[in-house]
Amino acid sequence: MRNLLDFLLKYINLIVFIILEGIALALLGTANNYHNSRFINGVRGMTIGIEKQLMKIRTYFVLREINQTLASENISLRHHIELLEKQEDKLFFFVSDTSKQQWYQYTLAEVIDNSVSRQKNYFTLNKGLRDGLSTEMAVTSGDAVAGVVVGCTDNFSVAMSLLNLDFRLSARIKSSGYFGSLSWDGRNDTQAILTEIPQHITINQGDTVETTGYSAIFPEGIMIGTISDFERTGSDFYKITVSLMTDFRKLHYVNVIGNLKKAEQVGLEKQFE
Amino acid sequence: MINNIFRFGLIFILLILFQVLLFNNINFSGYVNPYVYILFILLLPVELPAWLVLILSFITGLVVDFFSTSLGMHTASTVMVGFIRPYVLQVISPRDGYEPGSEPSMFTYGARWFFIYTTIMVLAHHLVLFYVEVFRLTDFFRTLFRVLLSSLFSIAFIMLIEHFRKRK
Repeated sequence: MRNLLDFLLKYINLIVFIILEGIALALLGTANNYHNSRFINGVRGMTIGIEKQLMKIRTYFVLREINQTLASENISLRHHIELLEKQEDKLFFFVSDTSKQQWYQYTLAEVIDNSVSRQKNYFTLNKGLRDGLSTEMAVTSGDAVAGVVVGCTDNFSVAMSLLNLDFRLSARIKSSGYFGSLSWDGRNDTQAILTEIPQHITINQGDTVETTGYSAIFPEGIMIGTISDFERTGSDFYKITVSLMTDFRKLHYVNVIGNLKKAEQVGLEKQFE
Repeated sequence: MINNIFRFGLIFILLILFQVLLFNNINFSGYVNPYVYILFILLLPVELPAWLVLILSFITGLVVDFFSTSLGMHTASTVMVGFIRPYVLQVISPRDGYEPGSEPSMFTYGARWFFIYTTIMVLAHHLVLFYVEVFRLTDFFRTLFRVLLSSLFSIAFIMLIEHFRKRK
C-alpha cells in the first residue's frame, strides 16, 4: 500500500497529465465533428450576447456592400418572377395541387460569429429550432453556397462553413452537367477543389460550378463559383480549382434553406441501400 | 496568497477576453491566428506544483475552446504546454536559479530570457494545436508553415502585452 502511494506521489504529474490529455482528446473525438446541441446551449449561450453586439458594430461598416448584394439579388429575383409569371399564365392549377407544393423553405438569418483562419471553420447563426431551423439545412449567402447547419438550439445554430476540411458537397459543371465532389483543401479562403470530373470532357476557365441537389440538402443549381484553374492529374480525373463566389470574410446575412421533401427522398433512397 | 489568486484571476479573465474578442477576430491572410492566452500559463509562479499547473492549463484550454467552437483542440495543446513547462523552466533557468516566490515574467528575469521562454512554449503550443486541428499528416509542411507564421505573431503580441504590463 505504502509502495503504491509512493509510486503515485512520484508520478503524480505524469498521471495528471495523462488523465487531462485523455479527456481533451476524448472531447476532440466526440464533440468536435458535429457539435452537439447541449454544448452550444450551455456554455456558448454565455458568449453569444457579446458576439451579437460585436456583430452589430461590424455590420455597420459594411452596410454599403450589404445593400449592393441585396439590390443585385432583388434584380435577379424580379427576373425569375417575370419568367415564372409568363409560364403560369398558360397553366391553371389549384393551390392545393400536391405536384405544385412548395419544395424549399427559406429563412433569413444573421451570422453572429464567423472564422476563416482555421482549418475547420464554423459560423454561428442567430436563429434556431424556434425559427424552424434544424440540422442538415443548407446555408447560402446571396445565391451562393456558404455551409450546412450542423447544430441547433432553441435560438441559435452552428453551421459548418464550406471552409472546413470535413465539408463535402456534390457539385457539377453547369455547361457540361458532369458532377464531382467539392471540398476545401485548407489553403485559401477564396478557393475550393473539385475532383472526380473525368478527363475526357473539355472544361474552360470561367465555367460555372453549381450544386446538384443529390444530397437532399442543397437545392439544385445553387451557384458555388467559377473554375479558375485545372490540371490533369495522374489518374483519370481533373483536379479543378474553383474560385468561390461567397466571400467568407464578409458573411453577414444568409439564407437557410430547408428541404421540405427531404424525409421522403431520403426514406426512398434508404430502401435501396 | 489570496492577493495572488485574485491577481491571476484578473489576468486570466483579461487574457481570455483579449483572445476571444480581439485576436480570434483578426484574420490576417487567412493563415494567421495569434493565440496570446497561453501567457497565463507562462506567468504562473515558478513554485506552483506541476499538477496544479496542469489543471489550470486544462481549465484555460477548455474555456478558450468553449468560446471558439473547437472543443478539445485548445485543451489538448494547453495541457501539453502545462506538462512541458517545468522541464523548459529547468533547462533555461537563470544562472542564479529562480528567486523564491517569483513569476517567470519579463519584469523579473529580463526581456531576453522571457523571449526564449515564450518562443519555446508558443512553438510547442502551436505545434500541438495546428496538427491536432488538421489531424492528418498530408500537407505536413504547409501545417508547419502555419505553425511558424502564427507563432511569430503570437510571440510578438505576447512580448508586446508583457511589455505594457511591465510598465504598469
